[in-house]
Amino acid sequence: NMAGLELLSDQGYRLDGRKPSELRKVQARMGVFAQGDGSAYIEQGNTKALAVVYGPHEVRGSRGKALHDRAVINCQFSMATFSTAERKRRPHGDRKSSEVSQHLKQTFEAAILTQLYPRSQIDIYVKILQSDGGNYSASVNAATLAVIDAGIPLRDYVCACSAGFVEDTPLADLCHAEEAGGGTVLSLALLPQGGQIALLQMDARLHQDHLDTLMEAAMTACRSLSTVLDRVVREHLQEVTTLTAE
Amino acid sequence: MATVQISEAEKVYIVHGVRDDLRVDGRGCEDYRHMEIETDVVSNTDGSARVKLGYSDILVGIKAEIGRPRPMVPDEGFLEFFVDCSANATPEFEGRGGEDLGTEISNTLYKVFNNPHSVDLRALCISPKEHCWILYVDVLLLQCDGNLYDAISVAVKAALFNTRIPRVQISEDDEGTKEIELSDDPYDCMRLSVENVPCIVTLCKVGQRHIVDATLQEKACSKACLLLSVTSRGTVTCVRKIGGGSLDPESIFEMTETGKRVGKALQSPLMELLQKEESLGKKRQKVGFLG
Amino acid sequence: MLKSKTFVKKTRSGGVRKIVREHYLRDDIWCGSEVCQSCPQDSTVLQRNAYMESSLCSSPHYLIPDTNVVLHQIDILEDPLIRNVIILQTVLQEVRHRSAPVYKRIKDAIHNAEKHFYTFTNEHHRETYVEQEQGESAAELHDRTIRVAAQWYTEHLKKAQTAEDLKVILLTHDGKCKEKAEEIGLVSYNCEEYIKSLIANPELVDRLALKSEENNESDRGKILFPEHLPLSKIQAGIKSGRLLQGTFRANRDNYLEASVFVHRDGEEDVEVLIQGLRSLNRAVHQDVVAVELLPKSEWAAPSSVVLEDEGPKEDENEDEKENILKSVASEKMLKPTGRVVGIIKRNWRPYCGMLSKSHIKEATKHLFTPADRRIPRIRIETRQASALEGQRIIVAIDGWPKNSRYPNGHFVRNLGSAGDKGTETEVLLLEHDVPHQAFSQAVLGFLPKMPWSITEEDMKNREDLRHLHVCSVDPPGCTDIDDALHCKDLENGNLEVGVHIADVSHFIRPGNALDQESASRGTTVYLCERRIDMVPELLSSNLCSLRSNVERLAFSCIWEVNHNAEIVKTRFTKSVINSKASLTYAEAQMRIDDASMNDEITKSLRGLNRLAKILKKKRIENGALTLSSPEVRFHIDSETHDPIDMQTKELKDTNSMVEEFMLLANISVAQKIYEEFPEFALLRKHPAPPPSNYDILVKAAKSKSFELRTDSAKALADSLDAARAQGFPYFNTLLRILATRCMMQAVYFCSGMDSDFHHYGLASPIYTHFTSPIRRYADIIVHRLLAAAIGADSTYPDLMDKHKQAALSNNLNYRHKMAQYAQRASVAFHTQLFFKSRGILNEEGFILFVKKNAIVILIPKYGLEGRVFFENKDKNNPRLTFIEEIPALTVEHHTFHLFDKVKVTISLDSSNIQHQKIRMSLVEPVIPGVSVSPQSAQDCEPEAKKTKLDC
Repeated sequence: NMAGLELLSDQGYRLDGRKPSELRKVQARMGVFAQGDGSAYIEQGNTKALAVVYGPHEVRGSRGKALHDRAVINCQFSMATFSTAERKRRPHGDRKSSEVSQHLKQTFEAAILTQLYPRSQIDIYVKILQSDGGNYSASVNAATLAVIDAGIPLRDYVCACSAGFVEDTPLADLCHAEEAGGGTVLSLALLPQGGQIALLQMDARLHQDHLDTLMEAAMTACRSLSTVLDRVVREHLQEVTTLTAE
Repeated sequence: MATVQISEAEKVYIVHGVRDDLRVDGRGCEDYRHMEIETDVVSNTDGSARVKLGYSDILVGIKAEIGRPRPMVPDEGFLEFFVDCSANATPEFEGRGGEDLGTEISNTLYKVFNNPHSVDLRALCISPKEHCWILYVDVLLLQCDGNLYDAISVAVKAALFNTRIPRVQISEDDEGTKEIELSDDPYDCMRLSVENVPCIVTLCKVGQRHIVDATLQEKACSKACLLLSVTSRGTVTCVRKIGGGSLDPESIFEMTETGKRVGKALQSPLMELLQKEESLGKKRQKVGFLG
Repeated sequence: MLKSKTFVKKTRSGGVRKIVREHYLRDDIWCGSEVCQSCPQDSTVLQRNAYMESSLCSSPHYLIPDTNVVLHQIDILEDPLIRNVIILQTVLQEVRHRSAPVYKRIKDAIHNAEKHFYTFTNEHHRETYVEQEQGESAAELHDRTIRVAAQWYTEHLKKAQTAEDLKVILLTHDGKCKEKAEEIGLVSYNCEEYIKSLIANPELVDRLALKSEENNESDRGKILFPEHLPLSKIQAGIKSGRLLQGTFRANRDNYLEASVFVHRDGEEDVEVLIQGLRSLNRAVHQDVVAVELLPKSEWAAPSSVVLEDEGPKEDENEDEKENILKSVASEKMLKPTGRVVGIIKRNWRPYCGMLSKSHIKEATKHLFTPADRRIPRIRIETRQASALEGQRIIVAIDGWPKNSRYPNGHFVRNLGSAGDKGTETEVLLLEHDVPHQAFSQAVLGFLPKMPWSITEEDMKNREDLRHLHVCSVDPPGCTDIDDALHCKDLENGNLEVGVHIADVSHFIRPGNALDQESASRGTTVYLCERRIDMVPELLSSNLCSLRSNVERLAFSCIWEVNHNAEIVKTRFTKSVINSKASLTYAEAQMRIDDASMNDEITKSLRGLNRLAKILKKKRIENGALTLSSPEVRFHIDSETHDPIDMQTKELKDTNSMVEEFMLLANISVAQKIYEEFPEFALLRKHPAPPPSNYDILVKAAKSKSFELRTDSAKALADSLDAARAQGFPYFNTLLRILATRCMMQAVYFCSGMDSDFHHYGLASPIYTHFTSPIRRYADIIVHRLLAAAIGADSTYPDLMDKHKQAALSNNLNYRHKMAQYAQRASVAFHTQLFFKSRGILNEEGFILFVKKNAIVILIPKYGLEGRVFFENKDKNNPRLTFIEEIPALTVEHHTFHLFDKVKVTISLDSSNIQHQKIRMSLVEPVIPGVSVSPQSAQDCEPEAKKTKLDC
């Protein structure tokens, strides 16, 4: 199609029928695996992520890595080779996934109360099973649930969401077509209670004057996500307590 | 967890149990653990399946791409395998930790599935020497709890069953230039016959006997294993000894017989299940990882 | 609220890919109708009283057109009569993919509140979403989706229970779709039958596109043309090299001949000659076509015959004419010849022209003759032929069946009487693709609300320069003043010079309808008596115009210069100014010259004038060219608006003073934006012409024994200066006029997409346009870039996208070129009007070009150019000898050279109403049988009066 895609119609609907500030449908579950210390699965629209947490445990490999006053956060982000429209040749190790791994590490170093676990290590592994935009955000949200499932204390939920611009309208929670449609994409991870930003990332050029609007859109989206995540956690606890009560 | 370490006493307990045909989890020597299968779990693949066997958790996605046939077999398409031993399954696999195991498994899968006896490779040919379908079969290990081969083979078979390849047409003009044309009807798809697709049965020699579907603990007691691929008719299409120890010809013969029997028995409920699931069509409630 | 559904789509890009997208269905999409009580909508678009007098449907109704109706009958939908139309999202999206121009037109209609067009987002509505069924093709799905939405509307509006029986009518072209619609109880009509049913408005019928005829072509007449190849075969053929792709360019003078320009990457461009109707095979000028080369033995030479299509006659006649083409041609003249085998892309547009009424009295089918001779005649159906005779009308082509000698089309609009000034202006605007419609409501909506004043907010990032003695200098009557200047002494002995440009980008914000419209227009077009604004008048003549004694927002470029006009410091700032005087060039000149005047403004002007002279000198020393082209100016009668006098423009010192500072500002800004945005700066370059362009100029100079050096701009400028012939003062001007013709076009480009920035004519390594944002869109972009560079405004994504900027540059270059052509056409038309009133005149002129069978003559008095032909269709032709090398043309015994002085008579030839032209006949030198005797206007009745145009 020569005309490209119309990201926002005159009637105010996005490609998939959402309004600019609406999030995609979010579904999540905790404790999906038995073996890890914590695990969670999240679907944000067609982006599906699986997070597993191991630890806190003693530092693997060289002892030199250990920190005397807090835990080492170790993250690996990878994508299933079939997760994208065009098949990926390898699940991780490319520049893009190493970058997301780095970002996850920074995000969770800001969120986990690492000082409670000196000289130990916490592993967070995230796998994207299906990718439709917002991989980083889905990874953060899945990992938050997995960390909670592992019983590791967090300052607050970390919620992440992306936002972008079409003409002068900020769009929240971009799908792949919107991310690919050009324009700036901003990813933001928020600790919603204190309004602290754990990570902010933007690759393309954007004028400073627009940054506020875009960040505001992303932060609003993060706040809505945090209520969803909170509900998932509470429901999971309910389920687990009734199970153990039996 | 790919492997576990167990004590001598545990070993003796397991070996004795096997001798009496009563395994630690209550199974007999030829019994499989509880297995869960679900197909069509990743919507942007052409075919997918998830299989849980014990705590082993396998996700297979198949993507069909158009490529060139191999020069030796110009009228056939082919399969490519990639096994991702993900760190999600165990921290041991982090970085390049899972690569060796992944390569080993994918080589075996290649031997078992990529031949015209197992899959109708000719059906994958679009125009000889020029275009064919390449099926990228990507296996993702999400949890390891022993007997990966069997679980993976079931998942691959289920995913192949689920695979829908878009129907294409070759139009040829006066110059003989061929153009690939796609049907605009998304239902207009080609299915693969999985009738001859084998499943893998891995038999582990524990003490004097052999068992199927060994757990990690049982595997730790086993010196050597025999891997067989068996079709629904009970035909063995591939045999391979794996593991460090050695096996005498007699055991191999016995194990092959058991493998044929167990493999044949595994096939029919599997096909029944797949067909039943498919008959539900769109009404089926997809479970995936949310269940 | 949200329901999620996924659907599968496969795209082709090398292979096959499965793409999964989410698709949310909603409960909150309303119907948009005034009668509806169930939708909790804030505002409605569709009216309660949707009356339309139709013999098919007596009750009020809404129309739902399907995609093909929108695509093919957009002329109908645009008619003010057609209102209350529901445009489905499905239809709108498909139109968007299929035709960008129609998409824009339908969107304009939707934005026009008076049209009451409502867009219904049917594919996201829970009750109108349709999933593809097994065995259903994409086209079938598309049609069914439209029917489902139409059905939903029918049911939905039934619930409203109004007094009137409000109906929904589905308009379709497709018989099958109509049948299926009727099966499910929908009211559905064919577009044609519906339009014909509008009893009160029979004229609408003429605007219907003739779609149906192509379908039943088999039963009518014999096949005249070979079948076109399908696109897939064409693509294969091009890939294999058997076919060539190129742009079809019809020959202006010979309707049986055309050429196809084939551009292939890495290979030399080829021009393929096409001769004969069957080979032309229904291609129309500007179409992109596929051609097949004929074997070398069948190659032909371009014929020099003039052939006009005289209308439908016997076929034999046609063949005979084609034979004329094939006559004698030397081997050397043969060109690659081919035939059109298929059409890759039609580039049809609505054409201006006139009706050639059928001789049969009751006929409804008539031939239309386009003004552009490269376009074939078009057969249209109309009942108002008598009324349209002698009128300039617009016709659109609908199709060209292979059994039809002419393409079929439909009447679009009547422009007015031929020869009428208004009509002719409209024609030349349309023919040069100059957007000149009144600005739409959507565009006007973005204008500032009046009364306007400068607010606190506006002052942010803005310097207050109201105290400066700023003035503007422009031609008389100028209302869109985009520049003003000041100059003052600084304490350190240097001077401060400021150029203040209207801050248009303050009012036109990126991406809105106003911005899009201005970007599309690209430039203001100045015709002899009309100006077609790029931006609405409120901005161009008021808020942005830097008039005196009002506060205006400006973008200032301020230099500190020393008395040698060397720049010490440059700075840019957004500002507020209050111009102290709006002067004309003459007024400014007077102030400078009048020693008694010593006010601030005059002092400022003197300073500027002095600096400008130094700047100009420096520039010329650097090799900048001063070329001339005679610019014509009309004195227009204030009442009749007819031109009463014609003269070439005279330049004053002050003209060049303003120009000098504008150039300086443009260069300074170009440097600044390129430094800040090396990838995204919008610049202007002027490539050096290839040496062969200068051939004619060198020959012309040689004729008077001057050597011109063309190896560099500097060399050219110097040798041009030296070429002054004794006793022939006009010689140098003539050379400069010729030199202008040798130059390349200056163009806009994006710095990230090009490496050659040089401006040849100005001898500047970098250049851009900054100083006229009211009338050039490029300047608006440059303003935005500069504003971003100094932190006074924000960037936005499109500004930082070099591909988008390159696309924009292309449009701007195209618009500028077309504006220039339109301007020339306007001058030509006014020249004709002038000579029409003058009758026959005798004038002196110079030979500008010598051609094979004609000489081109320039009349300096009028800046008028015309040809004297020595060949005539019906008469005995004189003996002609042409020597190209000199060049010289010998007619009988007289030899013509370049720049020879001649005397001619000038008159208007209106034998062809659509193509009037100035005719020149030779008076001196006297060549028996060729030249004519001089005539005075008095003793000859003006020819124009004989053939009245509007009868």
